[in-house]
Formats: sequence, structure tokens, C-alpha cells
Amino acid sequence: MRGLKFVVAVWMIMMLLLPAAAAARDIAPFESTGWLEKSLKSPKVVIVDVRKPEEYAAGHIPGAVNVFYGSWAIKRGDLLNELPADDDLRDVISAAGIQPQSWVIVAGKNQTMPERTDVTRVAFTLRYAGLQNVAVLDGGYDKWVAEKKAVSTVAVKPKAKPYKGKFNKQFIVNKDYVMGALDKALIADVRAPEFYKGEKKLDFVPKMGRIKGAVNLPPGLLYNPDGTYKNKADIEAAAKPIVGADLSREIVVYCDTGKVCTNWWFALHELLGYKNVKVYDGSSMEWMKDTVAPSAP
Amino acid sequence: MACTFCHKGDAAAVDMKTAHNGIVKRPSDNLKICGMCHKPIAENYGKSLHYTSAGQRHGVGGRFSEAEVKTFDEKVFETACRSCHASCGDCHVKAPAVGGLSIGLIEGHKYVKRNEGKTCAFCHGGRVYPEFTGEYGGSVDVHYQKGMMCMECHKKAEFHGDGNAYRSKQEVGDRPKCQNCHKFGSQKEYKMTTRIAHEKHQGKVSCYGCHSSGEYRQCYDCHLGTGSTSKPGFILGKNPRNMKEVTTLRLIPTVRDTFAKAGIKMENFDQLPNYWNAPVHNIKKRTDRTRNCDACHVEKKNFLTKETLIPNGSKANEGLIHSPKAIPIQR
Repeated sequence: MRGLKFVVAVWMIMMLLLPAAAAARDIAPFESTGWLEKSLKSPKVVIVDVRKPEEYAAGHIPGAVNVFYGSWAIKRGDLLNELPADDDLRDVISAAGIQPQSWVIVAGKNQTMPERTDVTRVAFTLRYAGLQNVAVLDGGYDKWVAEKKAVSTVAVKPKAKPYKGKFNKQFIVNKDYVMGALDKALIADVRAPEFYKGEKKLDFVPKMGRIKGAVNLPPGLLYNPDGTYKNKADIEAAAKPIVGADLSREIVVYCDTGKVCTNWWFALHELLGYKNVKVYDGSSMEWMKDTVAPSAP
Repeated sequence: MACTFCHKGDAAAVDMKTAHNGIVKRPSDNLKICGMCHKPIAENYGKSLHYTSAGQRHGVGGRFSEAEVKTFDEKVFETACRSCHASCGDCHVKAPAVGGLSIGLIEGHKYVKRNEGKTCAFCHGGRVYPEFTGEYGGSVDVHYQKGMMCMECHKKAEFHGDGNAYRSKQEVGDRPKCQNCHKFGSQKEYKMTTRIAHEKHQGKVSCYGCHSSGEYRQCYDCHLGTGSTSKPGFILGKNPRNMKEVTTLRLIPTVRDTFAKAGIKMENFDQLPNYWNAPVHNIKKRTDRTRNCDACHVEKKNFLTKETLIPNGSKANEGLIHSPKAIPIQR
């Protein structure tokens, strides 16, 4: 009987530890060009180049497959940068030859915020689709070229394999969810301060302002002047005063369309270990259209 | 090869004025210049639709009386339409100035043999190309998604001509067809619902009718001299070139007073519709219509109706209205 109790106890401990084990990463969330150069021949590595096919054809990281950004984020109704339907997303991942055990490195252009967040949005989408080891190439293809690393013009035709990973649906929330979470979750507005303060807006956002009660987590805080990511300690130092130190607190990030805020989702959830971070995909485009949705100022 | 080989002028001159004496700004407007080295291509190209712009003339010509055709040729076609014809350099060297955009010299007067982002997109950058890449309409074409570019489907003869002088692209025999690659009944139709849907709709609905994935550019109210305005839209209706088929329609911007400035009333305006079948380049495997029969057969979503026709449009527009029938339920 005592033996049985011991086996049950060990089994329970193992079950408790399983999520932590499952959440373990084999690669860093922001991988360097140097690491990638050394890992090019690893059979697990799949480099996903999200630039346009014409840019890819002109030169890419050897072995990279081209899956243009527009394959990962679509317009649905009036909303930009929405997730494709699950079956369409599975097709995209399958066609790229990605498997649940793959180490996926997402690479793209890196000059502007929209370019950098094309990459984080795709990396987020892959995490949403259930991939565990997804990394952003720090500095992107631009840094790769600036460092005079090898480039190829040979298009890679990946062997399609059906992707059957389990989606992390909890990473995305809708407007109703955010409405219900206003008093509980920390809502983080990942836009430049002038947009957060209601001094500026993009044309496609119906009105100026922010979700009522949101804190401002500017997207630029993550980057060095050369467009690479700051180190973990600096990112942590930037985040903590704004989102706090409680790693279990529910945080909902949003921006104008649900693209830019994925840079902070990736940093908070994947780098700093905040366990309960969600993206409000509709973001300001949707929220500010709803006259009932509370906004400020 | 020196600049003066094509552009003339005086390379030995020490001041700009003398150097530019006799300069030819657009040497490839004269096909003989390019034909010195690329004779067979230049000979064909002189008759191609890209060079003659005959498609534009033919497209609108059906709205004119005989007298108006003459006025159009004299006052409009040569001065307006023909100014859009593509010389060799427009595609392969210098992008034509569309909306003030021209990057030829910034790119160092670089010749490109094939680079669709330049050779095609600078003329077709208003409608087809940005719809293909998803930059207009927000839904990238599955072929672009897989890295396919224009020339994967469109062959050289479509660009350079095949030696025949066609009135419009409809007369060109060798044009891309979806079924060149996607055969009906192939093993890729592995789902029974797919096979049935293709069987039931074959000859009745174009591929675009179901697989065009989202809004595309619709142009409104074109007036000679001021141009037109545009907005995204998705329109389904009968194909004016094949009334047995339902397809995606694109509004063309010719309105009753488009050529009023040139004194053309368009006496036969109502002979042709304002909507034409559009091979929209935003194809997806799955769309709201392939996912749900009700989108067309119950909701009749995006179908042209009397209420949605443009005001004061052609009387021929009403003939394009189609109302899909409900699917009979077998008990």
C-alpha cells in the first residue's frame, strides 16, 4: 500500500511538472545572426523569411524558406492583421515544412517598426499555432547582410508535411473578453506615447485615445538604436515599472491592429517569463469603433 | 555600350548644353533602336497590345457612333491612351511615371530582364499587382504566397506579342487558364465535397467566382483630364462576355460624360455594361463561398442587384444581375 502511495505521489509530481517541462525552450526567443550562422546545418532549424518573394529571390539566408508576411496575417472585414482560419494557417505551416519539433527562426527586414513587427507577429502566430521553439532573428536579414554573411539566390522548395500541432488559443482574446477583463487584467497599450495620450492616430483607427485604464508600453523600448533587441536585463528594467513584477498577472497587450503589440507579447511571454499575456487582436481599430467600449482620454 | 549609343548627344562636349544637343530622352519609343540588337522581339512587340494600346481603344469603341470613333481617335486616343503605351525601356529600364513615381535613374539606369516588381508592377501597380500581393484588399493570392510571380502563368508572348496585331487581349489565344495546372478530377480533389462543388459549378461559375478571396479595386467616375476615383469592393454577377457564367466583376470607370471635354457624347453608351469580368488575382483555396454554400445560395452575398448598380449607369448593367437559386433539399 505504501508502495502504491509512493507511485501515485511520484506520478502527481510528474504531472505537476509537465507543463513546465512542456514550456521549456531549446532556443532563445531572440537568436543572434552568429548563432544562426553556426546552426544553419541543423536539421531542426527552419528559417522562415517573411519578406516579399521578389526580395527573397534577390537574396536570402541559405536554406531559408519564403513565406511572405501576408500569408500569416490577413484582413478580415475591416480589421487588418488578423489570424487566418485555423485550416488555412495549418496549410501555411505545412507548406513551409514546419513540424511541431522544428526550431523556427523568423527573419525579415529590420529598418522600421512595421518591418520588425512583421517578424514578431509571425513568430507570435507560430507560437499560437502550437510551435514551442520559435525565435526572432535579432537584427533580421539586414544585419545578416551587413555582416557579410553568406546569402543565396537558390529558392528553397520545402517538402510539405501535414502540421498537426495543438493551437494555443488562449494567446488571443477578443473585444468582449477585454471588456470583461478591464477591472482584472493589466491592459498595455503598445503604441508610441502620443498615440496613447490621444494626440495622434492612424487614418484607419476610428478615433484617438486608448482603452480606458490602459498603461503605456511603448514598442520602441525594446530596441537598441541599431534596431537590435536590448539585452534581457534592460528589457526587464523597461518592463517592470510599467507592468509590474508579478509574472502570473494577466496582461492584455494591444496596439492599432494587433501587429506591433506582438513585440512586447514576445518579450514578456517568451523572454521574461510572464505566464499570462494575451494579444487583443482587434486592437484600437475595433475598440475605437465601438461607441460603448470605454476609452480615454 | 556608351550612353550615346541609344541617347545620342555629344559625349565629348564639356558643357551640358552641347552634350545634350540632339539628345533622345526615350530612345526605346523608337523600336528600331532596340531592334538593332533584339530584332525578333522588337518586330513582334510593335504589334503587341502593350505597344499599340489597341485594347483601350477597342474596349471603349463600342460606345461610340462611327463619327465619334473618328473624334476619339483624333482627340483622345493618340494624346491620352497612346501616351500609356509601353516602350521597351518603360518595362526593362525606367518605370513609367505613374502617379509621379519613377525610379529608373535612382536605380542607376539598370536594365532588368525579368523582375515583375518592376517590369510588371509599375504599370499594373494600381490594380492587379497589389491585389496579388495583398497590399490592396488585404488578402494575398495563394500563388504569390507560394513564391510564384507573374511569369509563372503569363508567357513571354503575352508581353512581347506573337506577331499578330490583336484588338484586345480577349482575342489572344494563349492566355493563362487555371485548368492548365488545376485539372478537374485530379487526385488533389481529395474531398468529396470539393469534387461535387467543382462538378456542379463547372461552366456556370468561373474559378474566380468562388476562389477570389476578398475586395479588389473598383474605379469610378473617370473624366478626361481629371481621371477617376477608386475604392475596394467585391462584386459577383453574370460575365458580360459569357452570360451563362457567374464571375467576379470589376467596375470600369467610363461614365456618360467621360469624354464630354472632347465633344463625345457616346451615342451607344448603353450598348456596353459598366461592369466587366475580372480575373481577380487574389485567389485562395478557401473563401467564405467555398466554406459555406449559403453565402451565395441563401445570403446572395456580394451579388450585383438593382439597388447596388451605379447610378445613371449603362442600361446593359441590368443584364448582369444574377440571383442564385436555393439548393433543393432532398428528403
